[in-house]
Amino acid sequence: MRYLVSVIDDKTDPGSTDRQPAISAFNERLIAGGYWVFAGGLADTDAATVVDNRGEQAMFSDGPFLESKEYLAGVWVWEVPDLDVALELAAEASKVCDRKIEVRPFQ
Amino acid sequence: MVAALTRRFGDLDIAEEAAAEAFATAVRRWPADGVPPNPGGWLTTTAVRKAIDRIRRESKRDDKHKEAQLVYDDDPPEPVGAIDDDRLRLIFTCCHPALAMQTRVALTLRMVGGLTVPEIARAYLVADTAMERRITRAKAKIKAARIPYRVPSAEDLPTRVSGVLAVLFLMFNEGYMATGPDTDPVRHDLTAEAIRLTRLIRALLPDDGEVAGLLALMLLTEARRTARVSAGGELVSLDEQDRGEWDAALIAEGHRLVRERLAAAAGGVAPGRYQILAAINAVHTSAPNTRDTEWSQVVALYDQLVRLDPSPVVALNQAIAVAELHGPEEGLAAVDRLEDQLAGYHAYYAARADLLRRLGRGQQSRAAYDKAIELAGNTAETAYLTRRRDQLR
Repeated sequence: MRYLVSVIDDKTDPGSTDRQPAISAFNERLIAGGYWVFAGGLADTDAATVVDNRGEQAMFSDGPFLESKEYLAGVWVWEVPDLDVALELAAEASKVCDRKIEVRPFQ
Repeated sequence: MVAALTRRFGDLDIAEEAAAEAFATAVRRWPADGVPPNPGGWLTTTAVRKAIDRIRRESKRDDKHKEAQLVYDDDPPEPVGAIDDDRLRLIFTCCHPALAMQTRVALTLRMVGGLTVPEIARAYLVADTAMERRITRAKAKIKAARIPYRVPSAEDLPTRVSGVLAVLFLMFNEGYMATGPDTDPVRHDLTAEAIRLTRLIRALLPDDGEVAGLLALMLLTEARRTARVSAGGELVSLDEQDRGEWDAALIAEGHRLVRERLAAAAGGVAPGRYQILAAINAVHTSAPNTRDTEWSQVVALYDQLVRLDPSPVVALNQAIAVAELHGPEEGLAAVDRLEDQLAGYHAYYAARADLLRRLGRGQQSRAAYDKAIELAGNTAETAYLTRRRDQLR
């Protein structure tokens, strides 16, 4: 079962910026456990571009699709047996990243 | 049966509908064909067949081999927790922390307790449609997010248990004071199931004080069940109950558990709410009648409970005990302080009506009885309140 694991940061109350070594070590454990599928940190939401080509011509707009205090700072994709395993790992991930985590299953 | 089907098919909807279809088939056929020699087995076999039919219909395109596995693989062995019990697994799934607390209770009452959606909606004071949506959403989440169907591991068990106890307590209460005009006033099936499940949890966690407390509370309450409703279907209040009818074996077991917890409390372990409630019930079940009940102890225990759980319903019960110890006037003053928080709660008006009656304030008492009768959902309680109102001069 695959889950999208989102790291959520808060613009007004950001998590600490010195987490990278801990995150790398956590990733090693995810790989060793066979859970790791994909991971990546994201650039600032200012770097996003929204594309809408549902009309006559493609529209490009500068910035994220939703301006919000909380935003997506990075993602994992994990392959785990069930939600209990996912939640247990996510609890660790939240500590390691010093940020909130959302766990959402793929269809 | 729903639990066993869920384990086999890994899907609450399929299990529930297959069980319902099997019962419907039985209702159609048994009167004409006669009841089969093994009715339980017949129902299970029929339900399994219905479930497989449904899976076939729904998943013609995918997973042929999975379907074959369901047909041929009878009860695949799988590692489970300390106690292999389908219902226990079902309850831990329904009480999963990834579900909102209210959803857990509703789902457990539906899937484990077998209550109908309107019954649950009533217990929660929400509309049927809202409750239906909540339960449907919960089942969809269990499936989509793959909430596992198993008893948690030993290390996760203690943190998962408190949520389960809350659910079992609500299930027991719904059985002990069943809601709905067409429901038996006391649903022994629900109280018995809640006790059975609590015993299972106690077997998993024999040293947990709150598990022991909840079990004691249920046993001491259940012991009075038969004395609590008259032959005419009317609720019998504590002071009018025939205490000889109380179940001595259940009381003895409940008292044993309470003593066990009192010893632990003497050793410095602070009791939780179920242990305090059990102790209150132990005081009642130790007394020969209401007059000789040690009300000072009851009030002291409620004081302790209010510090732990400052909810208005606890405060209402505290006020009722205060009335026994210090008289109805003082009790009424305490009850009246809760008006803002408990408007709409039948027990508030019933308590008020009783105290006003004892104070000789008939007209006000009648108005409070009217309101309590209007709001009460239990048939035996409605009958009791109506008689009390009609006896007012």
